[in-house]
Amino acid sequence: MNTRPTDASGHAETDTEDAQGARAGSPVTPSFEVSEPRPRAKGSDATRAVELRDLSAYYGSQQAVKGISLSFVPGEVTAIIGPSGCGKSTMVRCINRMHEEIPGAHAEGQVLLDGTDLYGSGVDVVAVRRAVGMVFQKPNPFPSMSIYDNVAAGLRFTGAPRDTIQETVEDALKGAGLWEEAKDRLKSPGTGLSGGQQQRLCIARALAVNPDVLLMDEPCSALDPVATLKIEDLITELRERVTIVIVTHNMQQAARVADTTVFMLDGELVEVSGTKKLFTNPEDERTERYVTGKFG
Amino acid sequence: MESGALPESRLLQPISGRRRRTDKAMRWLFWLATGIALVPLVLVMIYIINKGIGALSSEFFTTDPTGNFLGAQGGVKSAILGTIEIVGFAALVTVPLGIGVAVYLTEFGRTGKLAQAVRFFVDVMTGVPSIVFGLFIYLVLVIGEVGGSTFAGWKGSAALALLMLPIVTRSSEVSLQLVPNHLREAALALGAPRWKVVLRVVLPSAASGIVTGALLSVARAAGETAPLLFTSTIVKATTFNLNEPMNSLPAQIFQDLKQPNDELVERAWGGALTLVGMILIVTLAAKLIQRRSRGKGAI
Repeated sequence: MNTRPTDASGHAETDTEDAQGARAGSPVTPSFEVSEPRPRAKGSDATRAVELRDLSAYYGSQQAVKGISLSFVPGEVTAIIGPSGCGKSTMVRCINRMHEEIPGAHAEGQVLLDGTDLYGSGVDVVAVRRAVGMVFQKPNPFPSMSIYDNVAAGLRFTGAPRDTIQETVEDALKGAGLWEEAKDRLKSPGTGLSGGQQQRLCIARALAVNPDVLLMDEPCSALDPVATLKIEDLITELRERVTIVIVTHNMQQAARVADTTVFMLDGELVEVSGTKKLFTNPEDERTERYVTGKFG
Repeated sequence: MESGALPESRLLQPISGRRRRTDKAMRWLFWLATGIALVPLVLVMIYIINKGIGALSSEFFTTDPTGNFLGAQGGVKSAILGTIEIVGFAALVTVPLGIGVAVYLTEFGRTGKLAQAVRFFVDVMTGVPSIVFGLFIYLVLVIGEVGGSTFAGWKGSAALALLMLPIVTRSSEVSLQLVPNHLREAALALGAPRWKVVLRVVLPSAASGIVTGALLSVARAAGETAPLLFTSTIVKATTFNLNEPMNSLPAQIFQDLKQPNDELVERAWGGALTLVGMILIVTLAAKLIQRRSRGKGAI
């Protein structure tokens, strides 16, 4: 992997240009800029490594994910792209075992977190979900709770000691870049925030339980471009803390935030490459056709 | 997309006389339907207030029926307290039970066979006439002298509980189903065990709907006469012992109205007005809870 360093300010500029390009509705040729590969974040460690081994997922008898094997590198952001219904969300939901919450759905194969199979016998689903956090497509703060209580919810669910909660909530809100906006209204309902703030609240809520991996299922699809940009900046910061897997239908977004990009089609993995390579010089013809906007 | 793109004549064409007339006629029809439906409601209220207001006095609320053939007939204190006791005890049992069944149906049974069967029987029970519940309790608990008594307040509660249970279950289930699934997912994804998801996220989000449903079932049960006539029966004295026969407002009204005594008939109207007032208070409370929780973002 190329380890050419990129300074942070220069990187932010690229992001802005890309967002404007997206707003102007620029055609989806590789005309959008792709971020240079970044140096691996400091403090990345093996405990956050996720590996899929021959993972298949089903809804009833219908197979949505077809035997995918894939590794996510700790300290990196991996984006999953592909047309609607290609199984990218389903695959990601298998990593924290949320897929099986849907009636009739089940998964086969292995998901290894730090070498332990999350689907192995004796593994507690609840523990899996504490280690692998998730942010959903639509911001979903708990309507019956205040901003503070929303962030504290995960800690309370897991029975964290009372005296540590306040500090963790503040940390998580700072981590999600919401502290300055929310510190004076911690007691007001979380649903009173704007859409982008709500999504950052949900990220804070997920960060509060200190997960090793953060799954993001199209986290910006319900947000405006400015809020999207904030979330993307946040993702770039958070890669130091957690391994991030982001599902997105927006190729520019993948190009902006991801170190590695995965292209899926019809439940199968087509190509995994460094983001720049996948968007500029893909190996598979289908990837090229998708990336250049010929279908999907 | 611009409006200028449409031919002017199409926008400025006059509305045809037929359309205008139909519009007017239909509006009148709906007004008429609403008006007709309101007439009996308003008349009943006016009639009850008119007839009952004369009976109301401080003694009316603070004395028990005397049962004297001549002279002072007393008030309805025992009936008011009896209704509160019987319905209160029934609610104490059915509200938690009904919420429990609803939680099972929405959170655990979902579309399973058992859940479908339970749902079917709950629907059937909603349609059972109240006198059937009274008869059932009469045969099982009263004739059997369960608890060492024949007629007793708690047996009236039992009959009302059978009536309230499906109402509470159904309304709670509807409220729980209105809780969006993404909230359950959010809580599960945070590593909450399912019971905590239900307790901390689902039930608080549905609380106002559940309370409203419970209060409406109380209002419904408070007005029931048939299940009480042969379970807790009609007595004169106030009692706080649920294992004794107990008076209730609907039963008292039923009794008084049959008497060839103007004073007793007037007491029946006073009792009816009191009962309507009590039910109105409960219904208003339900509405208030519903309104207050709105805007807070709860369901």
